[in-house]
Amino acid sequence: MKKSRLAAGMVAAIALSTTLAACGAGSNTDDDGKLTFMFRGGEDEKAAYEEAISRFEEETGVTVDVVVTDADQYATKLQAAIAGNNVPDVFYIEQASLQSYVTSGILLDITDHVAEQDVDLDNMWEYGVNSYRYDGKLQGTPEGRMYGLPKDVGPFAMGYNKTMLEAEGIPLPSVDEPYTWDQWLEVLKATTKDTDGDGEVDQWGTGLNVQWNSQGFAWSNGADWTNEDHTEVTVDTPEMAEALQYIADLSNVHKVTPNAEQAATLDTYQRWMAGELAFFPVGPWDVSVYNELDFEYDLIPFPAGSTGEPATWIGSLGIGASATTAMPEEAVQLVTYLSADETAQTTLVEAGIQVPNLKDMAAEWAAEEGAEPANRQEFLDVVEDYGRPMPAAFTYGAAWYDELWTNIQPVIDGQQPAAEYLAEVQPRMQALLDEANAAAEQAAAANASDS
Amino acid sequence: MLSSGTSRLHRSEHRWALLFVAAPVVGYLLFTLYPVAMAFYTSLTNSNGLGVARFVGLDNYVRVISDGYFHQSLFNTFFYMIGIPIGLALSLALAIGMSRAIPARTALRTIYYVPVISSLAAIAILWQWAYNGDFGLVNQVLAWFGIDGPNWLADKDYAKPAIIAMAIWKGLGYSMILYLAAIQSVPRTLYEAAELDGANGWQQFRAITLPMVRPVTFFLVVTNVIGGAQIFTEINIMTPTGGPELSTASAVWYIWRQAFKYQQMGYGTAMAIVLGLLILVITLIQFRLNRRNSFVLD
Repeated sequence: MKKSRLAAGMVAAIALSTTLAACGAGSNTDDDGKLTFMFRGGEDEKAAYEEAISRFEEETGVTVDVVVTDADQYATKLQAAIAGNNVPDVFYIEQASLQSYVTSGILLDITDHVAEQDVDLDNMWEYGVNSYRYDGKLQGTPEGRMYGLPKDVGPFAMGYNKTMLEAEGIPLPSVDEPYTWDQWLEVLKATTKDTDGDGEVDQWGTGLNVQWNSQGFAWSNGADWTNEDHTEVTVDTPEMAEALQYIADLSNVHKVTPNAEQAATLDTYQRWMAGELAFFPVGPWDVSVYNELDFEYDLIPFPAGSTGEPATWIGSLGIGASATTAMPEEAVQLVTYLSADETAQTTLVEAGIQVPNLKDMAAEWAAEEGAEPANRQEFLDVVEDYGRPMPAAFTYGAAWYDELWTNIQPVIDGQQPAAEYLAEVQPRMQALLDEANAAAEQAAAANASDS
Repeated sequence: MLSSGTSRLHRSEHRWALLFVAAPVVGYLLFTLYPVAMAFYTSLTNSNGLGVARFVGLDNYVRVISDGYFHQSLFNTFFYMIGIPIGLALSLALAIGMSRAIPARTALRTIYYVPVISSLAAIAILWQWAYNGDFGLVNQVLAWFGIDGPNWLADKDYAKPAIIAMAIWKGLGYSMILYLAAIQSVPRTLYEAAELDGANGWQQFRAITLPMVRPVTFFLVVTNVIGGAQIFTEINIMTPTGGPELSTASAVWYIWRQAFKYQQMGYGTAMAIVLGLLILVITLIQFRLNRRNSFVLD
């Protein structure tokens, strides 16, 4: 009896401690004359960055320890490093985490260092540079202090299967004049068919993933997720409902996509690569893979809604330096090297993983003879002209934004009207946004009084 | 006790003994109790895991009570435990089969044990492919029988059973090995005596095998429940967004998302403590239920 109680206690203690053992603390500021650079990415990216970094080491004589993780694990590992007071000297930073990292005193203010290092900021994409500026209240403003430079910008354009459209005798879309939603729907209908006569559709107009592809439709229809200063969630508008409903109807009413259950990106992505879809969104990170496919493709703007103007998002990832680094000069040097050095950019662009960060280089890159895709300029138009940051890019965390997608499946499946769902979800999103804004203020206040 | 020995040797040995005892005790204090205490403190703050935290009292715990998604994820977690009895029954049946002289017994035992030693991440990715709605192995096999399988992991009604099936498959080998050892240590004489009394196979199983392997069953239930309450890796890999309408999100997955993705370390820690306490209570209940044959622990 006694033993069993003891055993119970021990098992329970183990259970409790393994659940909780996630948090620990250490204390170690490294001062070993080396820089640590922590980043994430696939094989191609890793190889390209290692090449660029070894050139940096040669040029400057600074040794750089590279820590690379999978995309999924990056945020967790970086936080563990921070909790252990072992912040890497230089690391990738997401737009949506910037504010909390700044208010917690983790990111170095690099404004003055960058100015000293003679970086031609005018030759860099404004959107990319401003993404990592923060004035204590607003992020993304040109007046803010600088806490990082863009690793890249990720314009998201629409792509089409040129080989298929030509085979179907459909006139190729204009690169300047976006389709209207109605026009696009007609083309989608014309391309959706059973090509081998077995009674089953095996070629579709498109296949969209609502979480990643609906932004352009919403914005170009005049809808947005929040008001300008990110205090009110505005998803419960007719324009937003119309955009979401349009996307859902493509599957449920018009049946021009592989059916609703298969909307998980993996499937449509593979169908696109197998040449079964006429239209599919394309980001710069896709280019190295898509160029190897059996069909030709090219880029166009997203179809335009009621405003008549196309819209889409631009992602970006930044590179920042640690506020506690023992070598701030060298750390910022590495940041500017990776973000703005011409040789480094050439290495990264040639690896096919990004568009150039430098405007003059990008113009040459877009005009390149025999470039694939031919209309590379579309990526640059997105960056310079009509692309927007993701709705949650400049808020204090993305919980409010993710809430929209959590229960959206019935809308996609055609079981619930978009307008009804949006009215339902708006208060929940608003509550989470309020919470985020309150947390931002508290963090800023706590940090101000602390330092 | 200390006073009973007075010789120098005795005292010296006592000191050495204390040193040996101290090693694990200090380790426990430093690496278990201290982090747990820190975690408890963190759960009373609005920590974001990065910077300065403010003390907020029981706010996080109040939020745990009203957070529908956390309740959903707890429900999912316990729903996954349906797989535990199924898995134990299957592995007991397998162990009985494997303890007989059947051909290729060693090879079969090895095959069943392979999933146990394989990396969970690799297995989760393989099963994610197997469950793919279009090209997946599972639906291809179902198609042979004229069944049009669902898109398992993207359907809120099928996603949980799909994950349960995978978890059973993964855990089968481990339980089987333990049962095998238990079955082989049952004295033959018991079966011989039963046979003389005219007991058939089923009666022998009910009256001898089942009670004799009961300590193993108990051990497996307790460890499986504790492990099952912490299910995370396969969920995070197979359904990175927690599944449609958070239908696959486990409690630990949800805690992880709040703490690391949304930087609400204080709230995440509060949920972790609640989950830890739930596991504690369930485990105590299990020990109480098992008290009748507590002799097996001696």
